[in-house]
Amino acid sequence: MHIDKYTDAILNCRFCFMCRHLSGIGNVAFTESDTPRVRASLLYGVTTGRIQLDNPDVIACLYRHDLSGACRRNCVKHFDEIGLNLAARADIVASGCAPASIQALADSLMQTARWTVDGSGEVLYFVDLYTQETGTVAAAFAKIMAKAKVSYQTVSGGCIGKGLKTLGYLPEAAAAAKQFAAVVEKSGAKTVVVSNPAAYDALVNDFPALGIKLAATVMHTSEYILSLALPWQNPQEVYYLESDFLRNYNSDLPAPHSLLQAVGAKNRPFGTNDEESYTCGEGAVLLPRIDASLVEKLAQYIEARADAPSTDRILVASPYTKLMLGKYTSLHVQTLEEFVAEAI
Amino acid sequence: MLVSSNSYMYEMIRSELTDIVGSEFVCTHEADKFGHSIDYYWIPEMWHDRGMETPRPDFVISPANAQEVSKVIKLANHYHIPVVPWGGGSGSQGGALPIFGGIIMDMKRMNKLIRIDRESLTVTCQAGIIAQHLEWSCNKEGFSTMHLPASISCATIGGFLAHRGTGVLSTKYGKIEDMVLSLEVVTPTGEIIRTLPVPRHASGPDLTLLFTGSEGTLGIITEATLKLHPQPEAREFRAYIFKDFHTAMSAGAELMRSRLQPCAIRLYDETETITHVRKVFNMELAQGSYLVFGFDGRKDITACQMKYAREIMEDKYQGQDLGSKGGDLWWENKYKFFYPGFMFHLPQAFGTLDTVATFDKIEAVYWAMKNVVTENFPQARFIGHFSHWYEWGCMLYARFIFEPQDVPKDPREAVALYNRVWNMAIRAAIANGGVINEHHGVGIKLGHLMKELYGPAMPVLEGIKKQLDPNNIMNPGKMGFKGV
Repeated sequence: MHIDKYTDAILNCRFCFMCRHLSGIGNVAFTESDTPRVRASLLYGVTTGRIQLDNPDVIACLYRHDLSGACRRNCVKHFDEIGLNLAARADIVASGCAPASIQALADSLMQTARWTVDGSGEVLYFVDLYTQETGTVAAAFAKIMAKAKVSYQTVSGGCIGKGLKTLGYLPEAAAAAKQFAAVVEKSGAKTVVVSNPAAYDALVNDFPALGIKLAATVMHTSEYILSLALPWQNPQEVYYLESDFLRNYNSDLPAPHSLLQAVGAKNRPFGTNDEESYTCGEGAVLLPRIDASLVEKLAQYIEARADAPSTDRILVASPYTKLMLGKYTSLHVQTLEEFVAEAI
Repeated sequence: MLVSSNSYMYEMIRSELTDIVGSEFVCTHEADKFGHSIDYYWIPEMWHDRGMETPRPDFVISPANAQEVSKVIKLANHYHIPVVPWGGGSGSQGGALPIFGGIIMDMKRMNKLIRIDRESLTVTCQAGIIAQHLEWSCNKEGFSTMHLPASISCATIGGFLAHRGTGVLSTKYGKIEDMVLSLEVVTPTGEIIRTLPVPRHASGPDLTLLFTGSEGTLGIITEATLKLHPQPEAREFRAYIFKDFHTAMSAGAELMRSRLQPCAIRLYDETETITHVRKVFNMELAQGSYLVFGFDGRKDITACQMKYAREIMEDKYQGQDLGSKGGDLWWENKYKFFYPGFMFHLPQAFGTLDTVATFDKIEAVYWAMKNVVTENFPQARFIGHFSHWYEWGCMLYARFIFEPQDVPKDPREAVALYNRVWNMAIRAAIANGGVINEHHGVGIKLGHLMKELYGPAMPVLEGIKKQLDPNNIMNPGKMGFKGV
């Protein structure tokens, strides 16, 4: 079983409470089962045969996880309960126990795994489905690139494997990743730039784990814009909400903060702490299609922690988080690209 | 539970509960019921580790306010269903386990910070708020509860109150019972009451303290007003190594008798200095007993307190000064001791035999417990530190550890061994002037020793329980009170 690779997480998380305060879903649903302790303990029960992985309640519990990685980051030993959960999902799928709704979602993702490439240049900008859905992020990036006088290609399309991986469909995720890698290869691009941190994580971590080596360098838009060393300033007071993927999955990628500093933004601490995930479940990628009510609660949890919800300027790295906060709260949210483009 | 989950009566009760708190907050999912079947008590953990079934609740209820708590309790009285309050589930004594099934009243939905009073320096909150969340909110306003235990990330304020919890700065700021001003409580018959608004008065016995430490057996704490403190201008620590535990204890006691008001003192016996302090700090230490203490407050006053404390440590007891760095390391790593990788874990068997006694008895208690464990269970290790200090004595945080090869494979035999250690060690503590617990509570782990501890006073406690909870629905079988 896939979970056998995570025995250390099972054994160390199953009775541990030290990251309970960072359980995203647990904090909004008030449920004990939505914590690393109980999920790991349930999966320990699976390894002993006391608990069955085809139990619908157990499956539902495992698919409610927001996969933020805040708990793993908090842990002194960084035990990987996120990896454990993803492995359990893969076991559920492999054993044919995926709920029909999850299977349908995976089927729909597989159908999106095709991409179109436009433009010319050595930079390839990936416009994933969430970035497309914002309707503004790609335009902001285009504005920046026009001012910087850099011509670039765009690749637009659906799942490059990340969503399928989070659902537990590993072979299908690998197939989508390989197809996307071929598209990148064919483009001849030397640099792939992505706005969506989930896509960034897929390209820098998931692809190599699958043995897929891109010839191009992968950069998040914050890294790429920073590398342009543009002179624009936007010295406003902002609250930057960390991305799960950039912070908790990629060792605190410094570029978002560096970019804010470079454009002169005054970044104020949001909420009461810098440990919780304020992303609406970014790590789970597809949580809105698994249980939208949880995303709504996560969004409202964030709104309740704003100093002045009606006037605060919230910045995010993730188009997903922008979409969810826009849908469920009255917060004013921009992505980093939009904030920089505003100064042009 | 009196009815099978397959019966229509079960569904009738579910409907009534749903009518009170809403369907979203009446949970019967296996995953959530399982989540409430294990806390931080070694026996249920071991039971699960060995593939055994742990006792589940029939319903998990998440009320939003005291009114809903009251209605659920009245319903439970009507049907004689056990109600077990659950905060963060980090209790180590089994106090929140649904040993007779029934209703788990999970309090975490009651997580509102109601008010910060900047004039009186108090905070009022619902009891289900996780302590770290409350602390963060207070920090943002420039204050602290100064309640900083290792379980801060999980335990709720109600849980701390129900078990008389404590934190690393207790030596100056007190235990939770010293921090609380007043409570809102739902009694076992469903009345919503408030204790008096202030903790110091001459208006009769103190109801706040009656419910504090009652572990959900006398009612459910739904709201609390606690003291706040400004964040200190300075907080300084210093550590020393003493040649042996006795000398370190003498120095610590002298520091308390000096009334210099340290915010923390922690003294590790020679064994724990080697096994834990060195490991967590990743530093070499001379043989001996490690003692760390600190002061906080105004910078000039803190410096003055530290000066006199150093004189005690160095001039009178010849402590080897590890400097402020040696002390700061402890402060920075104060929670690290409890993370996996540094904490004991199954398949080891381990327990925290915490007790408290006056200075004239505490060393005798330590040696009595250590001797009884090591002589009767030579395969066990015994370590101890002294974490919470008072003007008159201090708390012993002793632990025994059995390595996996020394723990019976049969879970029933493991329980028997575990309880033999507990019984002998705690009886040794009582015989030498200790009590059965200092800040973890009683639960099911120590309930059977309550009569021995209280003696003729136990019927007083039992009378209070019977009067308040005539149907014995509130957390039955805990704290030495009878089961269903």
